[in-house]
Amino acid sequence: MKFTLLVQLSWRNLWRHRRRTLILITTICVAVGSVLVLNALLRGMQMSMVETAIDNLNGHFKVVAPGYLDDPGIKKSFRFEPSGHPELASYGIRGWTSRVRVPAVIRSERETRGVQFVGVVPGSEDISFLGDVEIDGEYLSGPDDRRILVGHALAQQLETGVGRRVVLITQGVDGGNRESGYRIAGVYDAVGTGIEKAFVFTGITSVQELLAVDAVTEVSVRLTEGVQEPPVLHRLTRTFTDLDVRTWQDLEPQAAMMHEMADATVSIWFLIVMGALIFGLVNTLVTAVMERIRELGMLRAIGMRRGAVIAQVVIESMITMAIGISVGVVLGLLGYLWLADGIDLSAFSEGLELTGIRPELIPRLWAQDVVLVVGLSLVLGFLASIYPAQRAVRIQPLDAMRR
Amino acid sequence: MKRALSRLVASILVLGAASPNASDPTAEDLVAGALDLMRGATSHIEFTMRIKRPDWERSTSIVAWSRGREDTLIRFTAPAKDAGNALLKVGDGMWTYTPRLNRTIRLPYSMRAQSWGGSDFSYNDLSRSDQVLRHYALAIVGERQDGEHTIYTIEAVPHENAPVVWGKEVWVLRDDYVMLEQVFYDQLQVALKRMTTLEIGQLGGRTLATRMRMERLDEPDRWTEVTTNSAEFDIELAEGMFTLFTLKSGAT
Repeated sequence: MKFTLLVQLSWRNLWRHRRRTLILITTICVAVGSVLVLNALLRGMQMSMVETAIDNLNGHFKVVAPGYLDDPGIKKSFRFEPSGHPELASYGIRGWTSRVRVPAVIRSERETRGVQFVGVVPGSEDISFLGDVEIDGEYLSGPDDRRILVGHALAQQLETGVGRRVVLITQGVDGGNRESGYRIAGVYDAVGTGIEKAFVFTGITSVQELLAVDAVTEVSVRLTEGVQEPPVLHRLTRTFTDLDVRTWQDLEPQAAMMHEMADATVSIWFLIVMGALIFGLVNTLVTAVMERIRELGMLRAIGMRRGAVIAQVVIESMITMAIGISVGVVLGLLGYLWLADGIDLSAFSEGLELTGIRPELIPRLWAQDVVLVVGLSLVLGFLASIYPAQRAVRIQPLDAMRR
Repeated sequence: MKRALSRLVASILVLGAASPNASDPTAEDLVAGALDLMRGATSHIEFTMRIKRPDWERSTSIVAWSRGREDTLIRFTAPAKDAGNALLKVGDGMWTYTPRLNRTIRLPYSMRAQSWGGSDFSYNDLSRSDQVLRHYALAIVGERQDGEHTIYTIEAVPHENAPVVWGKEVWVLRDDYVMLEQVFYDQLQVALKRMTTLEIGQLGGRTLATRMRMERLDEPDRWTEVTTNSAEFDIELAEGMFTLFTLKSGAT
């Protein structure tokens, strides 16, 4: 039997019950469309989280002294000569910078708070959020700037501001206290008050002078967009032999976990929606088969093969799915374009800041995700047609004629 | 013999310090004199601390020993609820002891801006000692005559990198080193805290401010008053006075 004839048969069968078929197709459209939009939103969230994690002074990789992560402090510092590591200028690396980061206490006339005191090389901080952060006042002029940058939220807590002095107290290599007064050069506005309350920046030599060391505690490396992490990680591990090279996943396990959870969420949502849909599809197909018992029996009686009967049901299912999926993908794309400018989540920003998601959510639709959804839907459509097809072949021509 | 000699030396020093200088003193002399007047080479002072808040008020008795400008031991003696709580300062370090916990705790810097014993004094206020000489630029900005005394107003502005949060401090000192007033300003030159001397008396052979009040100027009806009941200066103190052992054992 010719395949085109089978397709024609299936096509006609579909439109015998126009309303039923349309409802089924609509359901598939909504399911596929919603999965795609949700997927784009979750991907957007995922990317935003990753970028935030990398921006927050981590970079893709961070070189630290062994044991620094367990006990961060100036005791776990190391000497760093950029000239000894030409790999830092190699392919795939967008930029790097060195920092001295120590836990400290900041004190104003009215309040005292615990912070991370970070000595930076201001010129090479374009790899972190500090590079394009909004600053009220002035940015640090260079690595030997003795003034500091504090976050907006911290400045509010301390009831201080640009041009005023605060005292920073930290621990030296010998465990003794080091304290000094610093003038505030600028107040920065970061994504999330968590960051603003956590980091106080100054020139790197200013911290080194306070602690009487000329070592650094970390070298942060950022990759060019799209470059694969493992090969670069391998090269870095080879050049920093007696130091630890950590990935952003090591440094921000929470963000890494959320990243993986987003993947799982997409799959789970897809399975739930499609699972529900499949039952509807099976039900409709079985009904369609049962309605046509006489007809199918007749066809078998005049010599239609079993294979052709099965094919007929499968093709019917696949046509429904194909139409539903195509329109669904278009719907999903429209939804994505509608949201492409980003969703303003600033109303919930207090809560979001904890998770490191930016207050503006920009959805991302990846071609590979679309292909995956379409492919899986087709497979499911095929699987759904097996049972009705079985029912159809089991029809005995004699029984059918007797009805 | 040795003891008598040291007393003699001490009293000469005290007299020397306490007698008004014929020539005009510098701001540094005055501040150093005021610091030493309250402490001496060693001191043993008993005082009452009255804490006043808008809705309550309470009084505690305290005894304190000091040696030089750096070492201090302070112990609450009454009421029973607070008795035994103690604070030790040796050089840069500070420890508290709570008998109920039977533990000494080293006070980190982060906690030193907190109030001490619920009063208007912070731990930093207690450990200030000679900071003023090291971290501030001192200048006499006013001078007036009050009876037989000259009264100096001294402005203390912290150095740029000094670990001091205040915008400035203004001290009012009498020429016999009795401190009359001390005002702490924030960096917008708004007065935040003020210590005022309410009574001056004779104790331990010295003329001292015997009743002083520390008040927060941004919150009304909130102050701490310290009344000195007895004072001894330049006495012999046990060698192990300023140790964690004494802090814990409560030995005097």
